[in-house]
Amino acid sequence: MRKLELSAWLTMQALLLVSILSACSTPPPLVEPYIEKQALAAETDGARRYARGDYVGSKLNFADAGRMYLSVDNVVAAERSQLNAARAELALGSAEAALRRVASILEPTLVTEGLSISAQAHLALGAKAAAQATIALALAACPATCPDNPSLQVLQARALLADGRAAEALILAEFGLKALQGKDELREVANVWRLIASAALATGDTLRAQQAAQTALTIDRQLGLPEKIARDWLLLGEIGQKTGAADAEAAYRRALAIAQAAGLEPVSKLANEALAKGKGVSK
Amino acid sequence: MSILIEQDSDAVALRQGTRRFLLIAVLVVIAIVAAIFVRQGLFRQMATLGFVTDSAQELNKGLAVKVAGFRVGAVDSVTLRPDGKVEVSLEIDANYMKFVTHDAVIELRKEGLIGSSTLEILPGADKAHLAANEAKLNFNRAEGVTAMANQLREQIVPILNDIKAITGTLADPKSGLPATLASVRGTVDSIRELATTGNQQVSTLGAAAERALGKLDDDLSLVGKTLDATNARLPVLLEKSQKIVEHVEKITAAAEISVPPAVRDGGAVLGDVREIVSGAKQVWPVRNLVAAPTAAKLKADSDPRAEGAR
Repeated sequence: MRKLELSAWLTMQALLLVSILSACSTPPPLVEPYIEKQALAAETDGARRYARGDYVGSKLNFADAGRMYLSVDNVVAAERSQLNAARAELALGSAEAALRRVASILEPTLVTEGLSISAQAHLALGAKAAAQATIALALAACPATCPDNPSLQVLQARALLADGRAAEALILAEFGLKALQGKDELREVANVWRLIASAALATGDTLRAQQAAQTALTIDRQLGLPEKIARDWLLLGEIGQKTGAADAEAAYRRALAIAQAAGLEPVSKLANEALAKGKGVSK
Repeated sequence: MSILIEQDSDAVALRQGTRRFLLIAVLVVIAIVAAIFVRQGLFRQMATLGFVTDSAQELNKGLAVKVAGFRVGAVDSVTLRPDGKVEVSLEIDANYMKFVTHDAVIELRKEGLIGSSTLEILPGADKAHLAANEAKLNFNRAEGVTAMANQLREQIVPILNDIKAITGTLADPKSGLPATLASVRGTVDSIRELATTGNQQVSTLGAAAERALGKLDDDLSLVGKTLDATNARLPVLLEKSQKIVEHVEKITAAAEISVPPAVRDGGAVLGDVREIVSGAKQVWPVRNLVAAPTAAKLKADSDPRAEGAR
């Protein structure tokens, strides 16, 4: 009985010693001002939400973070949060709001990203010339060694494809793909494959288009982004329709099912239109 | 002998008078010549200006140079350069150089519509910097009569063409004035017929209106009865509405007192919760499970909606 008491006492002492040692081994936490800490927490939450595709929540978090940073005169962090909020707005389809938000960015280290977002917004609004001019500015500010350069190349390829220059877009997209190799940028890699598929389809190379779209779909499934997955199926349907494949309608139906499940109204509408058009053609 | 001596003294006096007269005459002539030279500007200090132009048309040696309408000099030389351009040199009174700015323009003008040509120096806007001696200024030709006539012709010809087209259209028997007059005549006849038909229809309409008025009278009496019934019920309804409004006002007043503190409390509670959660995130072992808050660098995504080129 005495032995048992002794071993229990020793165990407690050992545990106490371990917890004291672990407490001493960690560096003292950095004391940050309260608002700054809250802003950083909001920014981190925003990034987490953006990564899982919750763009509404992400936009709110980034906007909050931006306001809090601004209230403590941390202009750089405020502008960084504004940029992130603009990206969330772009993802939500509010290109005009994103453009307005980006217009106030003055921090030199954020200019390239700001220009990239502006170019994306211009493309979404159909302003091809403005998009190309903005991309040219961004490329001038961000040479080949710059980390954002591959994304800008991909964006330029998108702009060229939108301008009907599919062959040039294809070449540039492949350059972008090479530049992205070995980097942890799966979203962008999927974007390039989707772009290659669209450009190949425009040049009439349906086999390559099919392979590229499948690759994009695989990556987007891995990332778990419903809108992108649905759009990949739409693209596969389009390719199938062009080749006369029987599974084109099935691809459109798949896109519709995903869009409805995720509550993506515009993609559902596109899928429905494509299905109606396909039926009209088959009749 | 004395007579001879007297004649000699007269001759000497005459000779002296002649010499005096000749001397005065020579002095007067010299004075006149000097005055002419002064008038011609021979003793004046002159400054040289120049300009280069494509053509020597109407530019001659001796052509007057003016500033604000005053003659201040003349063209000294007009020479053709090896490159085919014409170089013109002007000499002007150095006293007038104070009016010639470095950005002055020399303009070839006509005095009146068909008068002689003159060169007018037009000072520029920068009055602080005057032109140096031998400066090259800009040259301009004012529009002459021919240019003005051509301009006038260019403006008048389209007007004349329009007048011609309008008179042609008016004279056209199918679509012009005669046709319009015939059409107006036809319209007047139609209006006359319409008036006759209208008179007949109005008399028919009178009977129909009488019948309609009778029916309207019946309907109005029915509406009157309905309004009486509504009048009887309305006070009760209004009283009920008044009570509801008063009730809502009481609720709103109560809410005004109780809601703001609740909202404030809620906000404070939320702030506390946030602080507790962020505090908990920093405590071992939770901090090992939750990523530490850092400045967000989002992953590159140049096409967040996967729209491609659409």
